[in-house]
Amino acid sequence: MKVSVDDAVCVGHGRCYAVAPEVFGADDNGHCVVHRAVVDGVLADKARLAARNCPEEAITAAD
Amino acid sequence: MSDQIPTVNPFGQADDPIPMYRELRECPIGRMDFGQKRPSFVVSRYADVRYVLKNAEIFSSCEAIDIGNDRPMIPLQIDPPEHAKYRRLMDPYLGPREVAKLEDDIRKLTNQIIDGFIDKDQINFHEEFAVPLPCTMFLRLVGLPIEDMEMFVGWKDDIIRPDVEWGDVEAAAEIREKTGAKIYDYFGGVIDERLANPGDDLLSEFVHGEVEGRSLTKEEILDICYLFILAGLDTVTATLDCYFAYLASHPEQRQAIVDDPGVIPAVVEELLRHETPVQVFPRTVSREVTMHGVDLEPGDHVLVVLGSANTDPEEFEDADEVHFDRQDNRHLAFGGGPHRCLGSHFARLELRIALEEFHKRIPEYSVLAGAGVSFSPGIREVADLPLILTAEGARQ
Repeated sequence: MKVSVDDAVCVGHGRCYAVAPEVFGADDNGHCVVHRAVVDGVLADKARLAARNCPEEAITAAD
Repeated sequence: MSDQIPTVNPFGQADDPIPMYRELRECPIGRMDFGQKRPSFVVSRYADVRYVLKNAEIFSSCEAIDIGNDRPMIPLQIDPPEHAKYRRLMDPYLGPREVAKLEDDIRKLTNQIIDGFIDKDQINFHEEFAVPLPCTMFLRLVGLPIEDMEMFVGWKDDIIRPDVEWGDVEAAAEIREKTGAKIYDYFGGVIDERLANPGDDLLSEFVHGEVEGRSLTKEEILDICYLFILAGLDTVTATLDCYFAYLASHPEQRQAIVDDPGVIPAVVEELLRHETPVQVFPRTVSREVTMHGVDLEPGDHVLVVLGSANTDPEEFEDADEVHFDRQDNRHLAFGGGPHRCLGSHFARLELRIALEEFHKRIPEYSVLAGAGVSFSPGIREVADLPLILTAEGARQ
């Protein structure tokens, strides 16, 4: 599964790296940085959970 | 059309706002009369609140707030795209990486504060914990004298909760203006002092900060300070009040935290959602827009009700209930869109540590029997929260 974030939409809520720290991290401003752009199994579930927890819908996690 | 819009008061029922939130969402656009020239429209469903917060080009923050300030507060009342240049300067100082360095200090201070009342059987939680913890941390971070905390908190209260009859807009404006003048005067002096003698505090960073290759002007620094003193000294206090008022009257959930402190990060989010300390936030319409058949004109006021968005069953399953194991929780307690709360990472850290240390040392507590727990409207604090600390043997 591919994971990406739309930098123009992310405002740095930080929910993604809280729920899926294996997949996402934070830059100095607290905005999302994708650590793993391709994931499967448990990490794919976590990436999807992170996408559902983003109030801005900035994350795409799709096959 | 506007004659058919229900008149509502999103500032009512702060003690138990959930039924009021439900009614607001049914409107779904309400109208509130503040005695202002232009109407205030009340937006309350999750999707609508998100739409307003996200679309800053339609819903401006610039003129939406008038709380004794002479100029727009930075960055809260600056609209995009200009807004971004200030956030670029400020965000790193309050980003998760930077605030994580404060974890040990916060933990130590939390324990020092608890040491002060661990042997008592009753405390006023607000005065003895919810105020000193975040306010001390904030003053340390910004670089203001801790011994003047009472003065700063007094100013903040006079601005946010002026002591007037509810609805007396003129009396409130007068108090806010007087207090605002004191804030500008005080910070004018502090800024001059930091320009001459920079320290390693946040205020010194801002005084010497640059946007677009130039130094900030003194007015810009003042406009940052005005916002900081209000935002930094109120919301975490109110959130702690909300959390502990809730947990003190829900012993099973309190016990769940004691049994498994690993649940605390989820508790932080779920109670932010369910309790939503900042209930309402204002915007001003800057372009014509229609919502649910209601035509909003430039200059109209909009109040987004974060609390009703956060308890909207269209967005959250069992929205009215607290579930620490809730998986999907994209709450808007810190707002959303470009103005997402600048201090949210700092706030989350303080809230987590406060919950961890308090429950480690005081596993059992309850609200004093017969005490009425009363929340202030708008930003829900409980100024008088008498907690009975029980199970003396288990305290440490």
